[in-house]
Amino acid sequence: MRRVVITGMGVISPIGNNQIDFFNNLMAGNSGIRKISSNFLNQLSVKIAAEVDFESSAFFQKKQLGFLDRTSQFALAAASQAWKDSGISLSDSEKLRSGVAIGTSMGGASTIEETYTQLYQKNIGRVKPFTVLRAMSNASASHISIEYGLKGPCLSFSVACSSSSVAIGEAYRMIKDGYTDVMVAGGAEALLTYGVMKAWESLGILAVEDKDNPSASCKPFSKDRSGFVLGEGAAIFVMEELNRAIKRNARIYGEMAGYSSTADTYHITKPSLEGQAHTIFSSLESASMIPDDIDYINAHGTATELNDIVETKAIKKVFGDKAYSIPVSSTKSMHGHMMGATGAVELLASVLAIKNQAIPPTANLLLKDPECDLDYVPIKGRTGVKVRAVMSNSFAFGGTNAILIVRNYE
Amino acid sequence: MQTLEKIKKILIENFIIEEDALKPEASLESLGMDSLDKIDLLFEIEEKFKIKIEPNDIKGNTLREMVDSIDIVISRQHKEENICIENREE
Repeated sequence: MRRVVITGMGVISPIGNNQIDFFNNLMAGNSGIRKISSNFLNQLSVKIAAEVDFESSAFFQKKQLGFLDRTSQFALAAASQAWKDSGISLSDSEKLRSGVAIGTSMGGASTIEETYTQLYQKNIGRVKPFTVLRAMSNASASHISIEYGLKGPCLSFSVACSSSSVAIGEAYRMIKDGYTDVMVAGGAEALLTYGVMKAWESLGILAVEDKDNPSASCKPFSKDRSGFVLGEGAAIFVMEELNRAIKRNARIYGEMAGYSSTADTYHITKPSLEGQAHTIFSSLESASMIPDDIDYINAHGTATELNDIVETKAIKKVFGDKAYSIPVSSTKSMHGHMMGATGAVELLASVLAIKNQAIPPTANLLLKDPECDLDYVPIKGRTGVKVRAVMSNSFAFGGTNAILIVRNYE
Repeated sequence: MQTLEKIKKILIENFIIEEDALKPEASLESLGMDSLDKIDLLFEIEEKFKIKIEPNDIKGNTLREMVDSIDIVISRQHKEENICIENREE
């Protein structure tokens, strides 16, 4: 059986643009959520988001930027980190068996919005020449394949909040099943635009701003939770077949152990207990693992009323009594809900939990909810703990669930 | 002359082309520009000069020919504008 390992990781996030800052901030409970900096602040009812601090001119030349939506900029910047981090180099024939899989929910959202503003609001009957190339949902994946000459599959997955978990899972299967040997996989999202934020606002599931401390507005599993906070960013992994990684003496962060993707077939927004439990169960099955093997769960943990209770019940349904002794945390409390990028960013948090043998907390969990009665690692991260295998949950609007399991490679 | 200088500025700043390479007889290809770069350049020129370039307006492929073509577009469109203004005044 072919085994698949992670050998490179990169991140652009509201809490750090490299994996060290990212994990240090998670462990310290530092949130990237704040009042947004945009000029449409006053037109919003919900004025907070998890924005990325990103100076595009530090990464790209002006000429390149004409082609790159903010989403693709994040994707390329994170991919560049992951590529360097992996120390990989590919011969021409190896490139034929290497591919890309990127998740994004809305692709070039800001390009689309700029275009409509130009046409409908400013009545300027012309738009930028590369609007199509910037807006298309596969732009991020394609730019990565061009940058590194990866001539195998170049795919984009758009499955709302599960997008990048699905992308990583499908990339894992491609290597495992022998279609490719190397994959660059992850997710990217940049949708903090006026129109998109208004759209989420009107759904009524965004967190109410914490008056005393806006950065503490997202409170997963806490009785006073009020919803999630939109975020943006990217996380990208270099994944390769184990023997290839061993042969080139690569540093191995962890082994992809399991993946499951299923559909709730229940409701377009409401989560299904049965559906989530099915995904958790089948992901364990795909990893040939039992509940005792999992030492940390990075929850989907959106901090909506419904998600947190259903996810808690689903974990209990599969893990039984063991559920109470597994640390489960929602790092969305700090990096926000990064939509198409969120699964990848949360997998990064999970893999870094293995690397550092440390578990990031759920920030802002101060009020116990009787219906959420697991160990959510409130407020304070834990160091010096044994983390052999981790599970990262993603549950999307539309009912597509995706779970990834990574184990320590020894 | 002003037109050439403005276009040179765009090529230097947006397309990272060395000033020394911007000879009047240089073709856009010889400056390393592909078809998408040309579209990008024409868009920038439209923005900077406040003109609308039609597909057949640009004759030739050297910098000099481009400048000449754009000067023709500028004088034509600015004349049209003046006519419009005159009409409005009447």
